[in-house]
Amino acid sequence: MKFVSHLDMNRFMIRTVRKAKLPIWYTEGFNPHPYITFALPLSLGFQSSYEIMDIRLTDDNYDINGICEKLNAVCPEYIEFFDACEPILKTRAVAFAHYNITFDDNKKILSLFLEFLNKESITVSKKTKKGDIKQFDILPKIKDLDIKEKNGNTHLSLTLPAGSTDNVNPELLITAFYEQTNTDYYCYSVERDLILDENLKPFR
Amino acid sequence: MGDKRLEQLLLTVQKPGRYSGGEINSVIKDKSAVDVRFAFCFPDTYEVGMSHLGMKILYSLFNEREDIWCERVFAPWIDFEKVMRENNIPLFALESRDSIKDFDFIGFTLQYELSYTNVINMLDLAKLPLKASERHSISPIVVAGGPCTCNAEPLADFVDIFFLGEGEQSDLEVIDLYKKFKANGGTKEQFLYEASKIEGVYVPSLYDISYNIDGTVKSITAKGDAPKTIRKRIETDLDNTYYPDKFVVPYIEIVHDRAVQEIFRGCIRGCRFCQAGYIYRPVREKSADTVNRQAKAICESTGYDEISLSSLSTSDYTEIEPMLEEMLSWTEKQGVSLSLPSLRIDNFSPELLQKINHVKKSGLTFAPEAGTQRLRDVINKNITEEEILNTCKTAFEGGYTAVKLYFMMGLPTETDEDIKGIADLAQKIVDTYYALPSKPKGKAVNVSISVSNFVPKPFTPFQFHPQITREEIIRKQQYLKECIKSRKITFNYHENKTSFLEGVFARGDRKLGEVLVSAFKKGCRFDGWDECFDLEKWLCAFSECGINPEFYANRERSYEEILPWEHLDYGVTKKFLICQNELAKKGETTPNCRQKCASCGANIFGKGVCFEKR
Ligand code: SF4
Repeated sequence: MKFVSHLDMNRFMIRTVRKAKLPIWYTEGFNPHPYITFALPLSLGFQSSYEIMDIRLTDDNYDINGICEKLNAVCPEYIEFFDACEPILKTRAVAFAHYNITFDDNKKILSLFLEFLNKESITVSKKTKKGDIKQFDILPKIKDLDIKEKNGNTHLSLTLPAGSTDNVNPELLITAFYEQTNTDYYCYSVERDLILDENLKPFR
Repeated sequence: MGDKRLEQLLLTVQKPGRYSGGEINSVIKDKSAVDVRFAFCFPDTYEVGMSHLGMKILYSLFNEREDIWCERVFAPWIDFEKVMRENNIPLFALESRDSIKDFDFIGFTLQYELSYTNVINMLDLAKLPLKASERHSISPIVVAGGPCTCNAEPLADFVDIFFLGEGEQSDLEVIDLYKKFKANGGTKEQFLYEASKIEGVYVPSLYDISYNIDGTVKSITAKGDAPKTIRKRIETDLDNTYYPDKFVVPYIEIVHDRAVQEIFRGCIRGCRFCQAGYIYRPVREKSADTVNRQAKAICESTGYDEISLSSLSTSDYTEIEPMLEEMLSWTEKQGVSLSLPSLRIDNFSPELLQKINHVKKSGLTFAPEAGTQRLRDVINKNITEEEILNTCKTAFEGGYTAVKLYFMMGLPTETDEDIKGIADLAQKIVDTYYALPSKPKGKAVNVSISVSNFVPKPFTPFQFHPQITREEIIRKQQYLKECIKSRKITFNYHENKTSFLEGVFARGDRKLGEVLVSAFKKGCRFDGWDECFDLEKWLCAFSECGINPEFYANRERSYEEILPWEHLDYGVTKKFLICQNELAKKGETTPNCRQKCASCGANIFGKGVCFEKR
């Protein structure tokens, strides 16, 4: 699913919900479409094991317990629904996300990355919505950083701000590492495994 | 190339979803458990190819068989081609990501002439020798089907087998023959000879072409006991013809992102410029029950909330009203919207209009094709101005305010009077709107005119005609622009340099194979895409090969001339086409198949509209 953009994911979910025959609520107006949103859009190229999707049904008394089963029955095995519940928090409450990054490097960059993270500051550049480049120090933004060897490769896990107020993509750190240390390039994969609120509690 | 590296590279190109596979309903098999691996190649982008119905049908048909694994391949866009070449990635199939070089079959579908350089490029990206004669081993066999095979002579040097007509049966027969050869041993030559005996199978290497001094074809000679003429194959009973109950549903948005239900093949009309109207003859319909049953299944398995009906001239379907009624009864309940392309106006009843209206209010489109009645008679487009204006009136009363009109430019016998007629007709539609007492207040009407360039095609009555030159097109476009006086009329045109090339290849012969290679080497691909098409490179390629493209595009053919496709039999006879061309010159029309059989020759297939009671 890595190559599925956020918009594509939305369309995929609409078809899935239709196939599962859930009584989905359609928006009104000239071009009615089903109401489906994600708490935090996923960047192209990332994998995820924790996503929150908000859908609206026409029937308030619809049995919520059977929903996951119905959705899983019409989904490929690489997409699985775990739980369904009434909405608790608003999307606005998303504040952080946790990522796992695995390099395909035979541990070659473990020590280099550790050294890199020990610097006073790490300046990264980010394109703003307006299109200009903004530079900032990424170090103070990082929480729960852990870097270690896993299955013979370098494994990095960290929490970064996410959501509508401040959003920091972990790619910024990796790009900065490669650019600023001139290290040989190794493939890596990024997985997002948690979406968190401001108290670093799982968002739901 | 490891999967991880490939995936990382994919993230550097536009729309990586074009190349990643894994879509819903795509078919994964155990490659050690199948006998035949088939790479179904669409020589255009993923978004275009995935919208194509023929590919969906054959993909599912092949994969129904346990011994065949059919996978999809599309032309990589320029950015990914660069990445592939730089990183030495061979052309791979989406499902397995295996290089297609090692497949048993590589099958192209030829939908338009301007995809020919993509065919060459894809063979090259697959790291295969381009020429069929340089691929000695029995696999892969390169095959091609689709409408262009009615004259794909420019590709004759590169393709081992062309399928003429509808491929459902002949494809599988060739695959079965191949399996026999693979089990028992045998050379590629022997295999091709045997294959040529299957109806609908054309093996170009088994025909010698000689030319006259002036460049025209002198003779077409079959080698050995290969058939002298090759007849296309068709399905005679569409209710019992395979139709998929699943479509692969892409993640990324494609051109036609919806369910598609075929309702009939062929067309009764016989518009003289329209190749589809002749090469798909005779008309064969599916019953309304079949249509509804199949359409329901597709919607269920895909989750699509839109379905369109597919056919030429949809409103000619004999059971259109009961079929639509039944369809609307379930689509409405399931929140599926129905779209009906290619409706003709001459049997567009107010009731029908009402029913469609029910579902979705899209614009109103007509294709009068020519601006005057005289020229419409020449091309056998049996629509009168009165009918057009009446339908517009009904539509305006029903709340429509936008009308789209499609025309062609450069039709045989066309004069400036006919060009002016386009503007006049549009003006009359505008006037009709303003003459309506019930016209909606404060809303303006918009009539948009789209004009494409006429390209003479094989197996049409106009196959003998010269295509008009680019200079003449530009002059006519300019003239039309001057004729349009109202600001309520928009005229969409772009220079359209591609139609010249399309005209060259549509009626081309084998000598053009060399030009294709030369153009490919200069970097020509995606010629149907404005951002890629480069006429200069093409002109260079022609002159390098000592070939005058005007010989193909702008030359009139005599009835006696042996045409490069003369050994191919599509039912419709040359005699009939000549007769139609003569009628065209006199401005005489021909009734449609349901009014009166015009004895075109397509009744040879023994089924369809030719045998309906009139
Ligand atoms: S033989 Fe007659 S009815 Fe049949 S397709 Fe030709 S013109 Fe139409």
